Amino acid sequence: MQPRSLITRLLASVTVLLIVFFGLTIVALDLVFQDLAERSVRDRLEVQLLALISASEEDSSGGLQPSAQLAEARFNNPGSGMYGEIVRSDGYPTWRSTSLAGTGLDLSPVLRPGERRFGELHAADGSMVLALSRGIEWEFNNRKTRSFVYSVAESREPYYAQLNRFRVQLFGWFGALMLLLLGALAILLRRLLAPLRRVEREIEAIEIGELTELGGGYPRELLGITTNLNALLRNERDRLARYRNTLGNLAHSFKTPLAVMRNLLGGTAVSGLPIARQLDEQVSRMDDIVKYQLKRAAASGGTGLGLAPVDVRATLDALRGALLKVYIDRGITCDLSVEEGCVYFGDREDLTEMAGNLLDNAFKWARSRIRFTARRVSDSTRRRDGLQLVVEDDGPGIPVSERARVLDRGARLDERVSGQGIGLSVVREVAKLNGGTINIGESELGGALIEILLPPV
Amino acid sequence: MRVLVVEDEASLRESLAAKLKESGFTVDEAADGEEGLYCGREYALDLAIIDLGLPKLPGLELIRKLRAESKKFPILILTARDRWQDKVEGLQAGADDYVAKPFHFEELLARAQALLRRSGGWAQPVLQCGPVALDPRTQEVTVNGKRVDLTSFEYRILEYLIHRAGEVISKAELTERLYAQDFDRDSNTIEVFIGRLRRKLDPEDTIKPIETLRGRGYRFALQRDSV
Repeated sequence: MQPRSLITRLLASVTVLLIVFFGLTIVALDLVFQDLAERSVRDRLEVQLLALISASEEDSSGGLQPSAQLAEARFNNPGSGMYGEIVRSDGYPTWRSTSLAGTGLDLSPVLRPGERRFGELHAADGSMVLALSRGIEWEFNNRKTRSFVYSVAESREPYYAQLNRFRVQLFGWFGALMLLLLGALAILLRRLLAPLRRVEREIEAIEIGELTELGGGYPRELLGITTNLNALLRNERDRLARYRNTLGNLAHSFKTPLAVMRNLLGGTAVSGLPIARQLDEQVSRMDDIVKYQLKRAAASGGTGLGLAPVDVRATLDALRGALLKVYIDRGITCDLSVEEGCVYFGDREDLTEMAGNLLDNAFKWARSRIRFTARRVSDSTRRRDGLQLVVEDDGPGIPVSERARVLDRGARLDERVSGQGIGLSVVREVAKLNGGTINIGESELGGALIEILLPPV
Repeated sequence: MRVLVVEDEASLRESLAAKLKESGFTVDEAADGEEGLYCGREYALDLAIIDLGLPKLPGLELIRKLRAESKKFPILILTARDRWQDKVEGLQAGADDYVAKPFHFEELLARAQALLRRSGGWAQPVLQCGPVALDPRTQEVTVNGKRVDLTSFEYRILEYLIHRAGEVISKAELTERLYAQDFDRDSNTIEVFIGRLRRKLDPEDTIKPIETLRGRGYRFALQRDSV
């Protein structure tokens, strides 16, 4: 599985964190609100109770009744949600508010004077009320005292409604706040990570050869990476150039003495002697070994990082022109067709080496016609297109039994017969280093068809 | 035919020069690029053989400079590195063919002769003008199929004239192309050799292969059979 992006990871963690944090905050605020709301109900009930007590008058039956001018109209209004009751110590209710009718509520517990009780009660219809009761000692006009329990109660419905409103608002606000925070964070992160995305873009550009190295202007934290990466790229290119130069010098300093030896062997003093022929064969072998190994070593086979994509048409055109010049006496026509937009991601020398060997072979064997085709090999899931090179001629072709051997010559140089050439095995090696393959077949032109396939990467 | 050999490895250059002389060429030698450029500018050359890995002035640069100065003679590259990139660059710079080191002299000679033949406008390996045929590969000259024995110098004069059959070639040009730079040049010698050639090729004075144009030079007068 591909690791998730930094932004996704960060946003996911922050979301979890915010949900926990906001959740706890909401729970705390809810508790505080419930407490406050209950307290305010209790305060209200307290006021109502005091008002009821102070408005009480003795009635004829030795009970207490609220006076007619009791301000709270809700006591008299059935279903108003505000209830009141006065119960004498013998359990006889001397007054029950009209609103209590049908509720099945029994508000007053048994309380001694001075005692209070505050609690929830269930009405007959299942709704809840909060009730406050207080026991008092009433001194009648006739100096007799008697204890009573005063109760007031209020329906919880308005409280629940309020709580719900509060909760809806709370969730609304916090939800909005969370979204806002996450949005702000996402924007912030994108801005923060912009340099990383630039590195990514520039590396892609380097891969397809639009850039040779990363640009400047990176923040301090990234400079270490970018400068080191640039140094690495430069180093790699320099190393290849140096390496090739060394190989070139090696070839030059080795082949010139071989050329001298060969010339001496052709001199009048020894030419024609069997030993001269044998030595000449050995010169050929040494030459082939050096040629093969050096060519293999010089092939970059690299990713071509930071190299501009090679224009296949221009490279093949130059090669075709060069070989037509060399083989002008053969009178061969060489048709070159290169698909539009065909590029080679890698080192120009590798391409020239592969195509050069193939085309040179074709010119050697063709009777009159060569067809050279280059096509793109596309794969939408890959970043770089591949390349297919096909060289065909109308020469004698390569028999099936010979095909493996022609390609393998380089691997077993000691076994090969001198003068057979190492062209195709070099092509195979270079193609292999470029992640490609070589195939030999028959052309409809009548001769050999040789295909190099470099798959998309 | 006058050939310039530009090669820094002395033993290779000298043995190459010796063999080219044996094969009937007039040879100039240069040990580095700058000397090669000097020779290319100063001498009337028919061919240059240039090594790519030269001190002072790289072979590729030398070829470019010669071509930039409109030197038309064919150029054969010697290359040790044997990279296609080098060959293509060399041919694009103006060379006409390449030979990879270590080469067999016979191959180099064949390539050189092919280049010379082409630069004279000949497509076939045997230069045939009516009854006269000259094969540079074997240095054999026949008239009506019968072999004619020529000395080395006679052959060289005839080869040059037939190469450029139809063109007027001055005595001075012949001298330049056939003598090395330090040779004692005497234009009268040319006249003597032309006289001998006429007698050997045309003892009955019937085909008249070589014309003398007074004050201008000589011309090989027989029509080319094929080009």
